[in-house]
Amino acid sequence: METMIAKAAALLGAGICMGIGALGPGLGEGYVGGKACESIGRAPEHANLITRTMLIGQAVSESTGIYSLVVALLLIFTS
Amino acid sequence: MINEYAQVTLFLGAALSTGVASISAGFGEGQTAAVTTKAIMRQPGARDIMLRSMLISQAVTESGAIFALVISLLLLFGGFLDESVDLAKAFSFLAAGMAMGFGSMGPNFGSGFAGSNACDAIGRTPSQHIPVTTNMLIGQALSQTSAIFALVVSLLLLYTVPNMAENQEILHQVVKACAYFGAAFAIGFGTLGPGSGIGFIAGKTCQMIARYKEKQSYFMRTMFLGAAVSESTAIYSLVVAFLLIFM
Repeated sequence: METMIAKAAALLGAGICMGIGALGPGLGEGYVGGKACESIGRAPEHANLITRTMLIGQAVSESTGIYSLVVALLLIFTS
Repeated sequence: MINEYAQVTLFLGAALSTGVASISAGFGEGQTAAVTTKAIMRQPGARDIMLRSMLISQAVTESGAIFALVISLLLLFGGFLDESVDLAKAFSFLAAGMAMGFGSMGPNFGSGFAGSNACDAIGRTPSQHIPVTTNMLIGQALSQTSAIFALVVSLLLLYTVPNMAENQEILHQVVKACAYFGAAFAIGFGTLGPGSGIGFIAGKTCQMIARYKEKQSYFMRTMFLGAAVSESTAIYSLVVAFLLIFM
């Protein structure tokens, strides 16, 4: 009985974790992309540098999304 | 008895789907209209171009709300209550409504942002209206991808959830119901960030294309890269939702 309730909670938790965990990275990466476009418009000669910085920033921002994915998968498969 | 619960969850799901989706669709379209009005005030000569771009943008922004309306109508008139429904199936109705309602919120915000920025840019440089409108449509399509993910999850929740036999133990059904809710949360809130983030990129790209027309390919490349990275979190959410529905 307890294990079933724990399983239910774990599955619900996996969904909440991935859902709310994806909110920040998505917004943040979009913001970085938008600002990168603005910067390239202002300084087109540094387009490569700006794109590189954008990708690094997005990769760092993505990491929390990947943490959420890992936690959600752990909750689904270990419960 | 259980069918009365199912009626409650079904009506709640239908209401949540269209209700929540309309918040962001109305907001996005209103923002586009407000910006266009201001732009026409500045340059009355280009009002036809601006009006056309505004209408195209609003039509794309509306699509998320139309998906939600489809799910609501399917819930109400799909004949789901013709047979007796178990607990897990009953809660899958509410989960389907929540997935579509919250799932189209981010894309609608994003499309509205992209559209309002495009109309603002066209208002500043009306000669650039064709590349800006093209870019706006591509950006809005990228943003609405997340809404389509939510539609897929919602339809899966409606049509692939098995109606378990009456003698199945109640705790097993509670676990299933929680898994369906989890899937709805994952895709519903998971598309909020990517949808609005991609809209932000598309909006800024439209502004920049209007201002520096010779660098259009640079801007579009950056937009695609940024949008692809931003979309990845929506795909994680989709994977988690699939796992929760089918495990």
